[in-house]
Amino acid sequence: MNGGKPVCLTIDGLKVQAYEGTNVLRAAEQAGIAIPHFCFHPGLEVEGSCRMCLVEIEGLPKLELSCSTVVRDGMVVRTSTDRVREARKDVLEFLLAEHPLDCPICPKAGECRLQDYYDSHGLYASRMVEARERRAKKLSIGRGLLLDRERCVLCTRCVRFLQQVTGTGELGIFERAVRSEVGIFDGAPVDNNYSGNLVDICPVGAITAEDFRFKTRAWFLARRPSVCPHCGRGCAVVIESVEGYPLRRSEKRVYRVTARENPAVNGFWICDLGRDGRHDIDDGRHIAVSKKDAPVQGLPWPEALAGVAAAIRSVPGPERAGKIGVVLNARLTCEELALAKSLFVTGLGLRKIYFAGRKPGPADGLLLTAERMPNDKGVLAAGFTPRLPSLGELAGAEVLLVFGPYLLDHFGEDAIARALAGIPAKYLFAAHAGPLDRLVDAVFPVAVPAEKSGTYINTEGVRQSFAPAVKPCPGVAAEGAILACLANTLGIAVGETDAR
Amino acid sequence: MTENGVRLLPVDENAWRLEAYLRRGGYETARKVLTTMTPAAVVAEVRKAAIRGRGGAGFPAGMKWGFVPQGGAGPKYLCVNADEAEPGTFKDRLVLLRAPHQLLEGMLITAFAVGIRSAFIYVRGEYAQVSRRLEEAIAEARTAGFVGPAVFGTDLGLDVVVHHGAGAYICGEETALLESLEGRRGQPRVKPPFPAVVGLFRSPTVINNVETIATVPQIMAKGADWFLGRGLAKDGGTRLYCVSGAVRRPGAYELAVGTPLREIIDVHAGGTPEGRSIKAVIPGGLSAPVLMPGELDVAMDVDSLSRACSMLGSAGIIVIPEGTSMLEVLHATARFYAHESCGKCTPCRIGTAWILKIVERLRSGGGGGADLDLILRLAEGIKGRTLCPLGEAAALPIHALVTKFRGELERTVTR
Amino acid sequence: MSYAPSPAALGKIDAAIARYPERSAALLPVLHAIQDESGFVSPDAERWVAAKLAIPPVRVREVLSFYTMFRRAPAGRSILQVCHNVSCALAGADDILRFISEQLGIAPGQTTPDGAISLVTVECLGNCDHAPCLQVDGVDHGPATRETVASLIEELKAHD
Repeated sequence: MNGGKPVCLTIDGLKVQAYEGTNVLRAAEQAGIAIPHFCFHPGLEVEGSCRMCLVEIEGLPKLELSCSTVVRDGMVVRTSTDRVREARKDVLEFLLAEHPLDCPICPKAGECRLQDYYDSHGLYASRMVEARERRAKKLSIGRGLLLDRERCVLCTRCVRFLQQVTGTGELGIFERAVRSEVGIFDGAPVDNNYSGNLVDICPVGAITAEDFRFKTRAWFLARRPSVCPHCGRGCAVVIESVEGYPLRRSEKRVYRVTARENPAVNGFWICDLGRDGRHDIDDGRHIAVSKKDAPVQGLPWPEALAGVAAAIRSVPGPERAGKIGVVLNARLTCEELALAKSLFVTGLGLRKIYFAGRKPGPADGLLLTAERMPNDKGVLAAGFTPRLPSLGELAGAEVLLVFGPYLLDHFGEDAIARALAGIPAKYLFAAHAGPLDRLVDAVFPVAVPAEKSGTYINTEGVRQSFAPAVKPCPGVAAEGAILACLANTLGIAVGETDAR
Repeated sequence: MTENGVRLLPVDENAWRLEAYLRRGGYETARKVLTTMTPAAVVAEVRKAAIRGRGGAGFPAGMKWGFVPQGGAGPKYLCVNADEAEPGTFKDRLVLLRAPHQLLEGMLITAFAVGIRSAFIYVRGEYAQVSRRLEEAIAEARTAGFVGPAVFGTDLGLDVVVHHGAGAYICGEETALLESLEGRRGQPRVKPPFPAVVGLFRSPTVINNVETIATVPQIMAKGADWFLGRGLAKDGGTRLYCVSGAVRRPGAYELAVGTPLREIIDVHAGGTPEGRSIKAVIPGGLSAPVLMPGELDVAMDVDSLSRACSMLGSAGIIVIPEGTSMLEVLHATARFYAHESCGKCTPCRIGTAWILKIVERLRSGGGGGADLDLILRLAEGIKGRTLCPLGEAAALPIHALVTKFRGELERTVTR
Repeated sequence: MSYAPSPAALGKIDAAIARYPERSAALLPVLHAIQDESGFVSPDAERWVAAKLAIPPVRVREVLSFYTMFRRAPAGRSILQVCHNVSCALAGADDILRFISEQLGIAPGQTTPDGAISLVTVECLGNCDHAPCLQVDGVDHGPATRETVASLIEELKAHD
């Protein structure tokens, strides 16, 4: 937390300014100097047990922990002297002495602190010839998490996270001395909506996710930032994907969604709902325009939208307001919503503009909001007054454009079918295959938020812009591009967009 | 030594009861202090007496009391450290068995000086027998009004709770003791903050050894100058020196601080039995680096032993006779620290276990000189790098044994 | 199979809880009370303690497994503890231990088949001027000799 007063200190000869109350490790980090550490985490209380972050502080005889030493005016810190490097090597040697040579089969390889620090501290041979402690290597601890006690370095980040952040405290440290081990109580596994963070924060391969083990390698992953669309919080995330090698040339897959730090939104964590949301990116996707169940491969968008434009044009101008219905959703970005307003309200003069979305769920008191759409505030900011339509209101339309599958969250499939049956021209713009597909004249494949660029406004009013984190399949377009193309086809000017 | 009849441990083993204590003038000093002095004056006197903690760390008690912030709305606590577990040490057991009221009187005075109303006595779990006597003494004191509300009619009330440990040497470290008292694993805390500011239940807390607190009534009865004069070094007073091992009269001897080690062994503990000579002496509990026969003229005070590259520690003197295998002593030492490591910090958790593994291999005939070098290197890797002093407590004696008995160890392991 | 302490033990437990400003601080005395009565602390007892002190059961296990005096499985009626630290070793603790092992027919860490005595080696008991030291059922014995140990074992075996 920032204290008010700035403090000036010197780290490795560099003059650094930090707020009072900051620890030396964070102050160094902010100045671009990385001090190796395992147990420290800025989102958790200081533990001081790994002893890796020891530094020299002028005037003090012993090496001091940079994680627990608070900055003071005039302090002089040295993070790279021989004495400090010697201490780090010793801590590493201790840890490696009781660590299995699992790198070839460990999912943490490539993003493991032990590996990284060993690499930068000399790649020396271990002097340990005694038998290592043997421990359980594949303990199920809940929520698809596996614990390997041989790899564990007892940094206690996992235990502290569950005590200090979620307050659920499922993990503990049992036994004593070198026999110490992480564990759960019988029948009381990890069971909360933040369990995935344990894998993120484990500095080694002790806690791993069953659905990531043996699937890929960390060094194949492209890591790109995005914003989670699964609730109104808009947590900062990293989408980790592979495109091409080692998959087939045209294949791509998202393997993981991890937390990205954003002090204004989600701090250091994301919830499991958001993590599981990665399936949303790859699974069950529409990849081609389909007309009444006959996919039309590779049709250029203007041609694909020609039918929609024709249907709209077929309704005489003065009647459009009453006869053309549009169902939008709050997964559209602010830019897309502005486009939709320009096209449908300003351009076409439509009045039957509705919104459907995921129904609210229980907020969990931490990050997950009751709202389960990412841009409700964006909808309001765009000047819409969002309203769910009644099926009767939809049934009376002659042309209906539905963006997203969310009518299903509010009405039964049969009821929707009946309502849509009498509409002469009805089109669905959706990312995933679903029951609405067979009820419309054509389905247009749209991008998911991870494939788009745009802005969301979260429930607290924080605006977050993001760029595409994964490439969509060819043939899939963002709603923004679709709306711009449609406007173009209709000859309506809607201003600057990144139309394709 | 019984100058002025002021002893910590009464000669008569049955003189622990309240009525015997009262006949010796017991609780009079506390009455005088609580009814006529100011807390600040008491702290000043104890500071002047320069009494060093008798637990092992040797930190001046008066200075420690001075770190507690004055005033403040919340509670303050006194924790008496009776988690005596330093091998070779048994003096606190004797204080609890033979002078429990002296301890209670010392607690009263300490509580008054620092503004404390609530005290816990942390007794190691293995002292069950000892603890029963202590509880009886507390009951006696409570009945007589020396413990409880409004002692001596003043507004000082003192609660005393006896808390039992459950087998962990590390709980003798003050912050690990606090963790244990709060119902958790006995693992030390990062300092700062120090217990004087953030201690038991997050409140300012004074933690002192049993013998230290039990010495306070003497200081307040006779004054700091008298106390300083009783010692031979600049640290005042007398203290209990434990002697065990190859001596005729093992036991605890109350002597002037600074008495030479050789005098304690030969004069008070009766020297070694017929026909045995000294091979080595551990002067201050197992954590104190071993001394050779030529080093035994050292004065037994904190500074002198520090200069001799050892430490006074808990004043637990262990006399090791000729004929003892130093590999066995090394093994018992390495085994002790590996067993007692709490496991929180890397160097101690893994280093003590690693050293033990090497020593066990050496014992079963599988090693050589290079292993001894490795032990020294590992001890260096532990020293100065750990969260609490158990790191040094393990590293320093192991280093001393391997260095001072290198020849014998090499011959033993390469046979 | 659910655990409940006897009324006597419950009385000790409630009295212990009352002595601490925070409920969870009473964990060690509560575990002592349960072990004094039942000889060990079972998983069901851990759950009972957790509920009683309003803490998750895993916190109970953390403490139970940290301190060496607590037992998580039944042991002999009497736990015969023999110190093997330096002062006691110098006084012949190794020989005493060997003798006890022979007499009982078990190694340290084991329990006699009749369930009477468990033999354990321990670290310093704080009684070094009576080395070699033993402790059994909370009572210190020392200096131990083959004779005193032999009669102690007789006593323990005869104990019901």
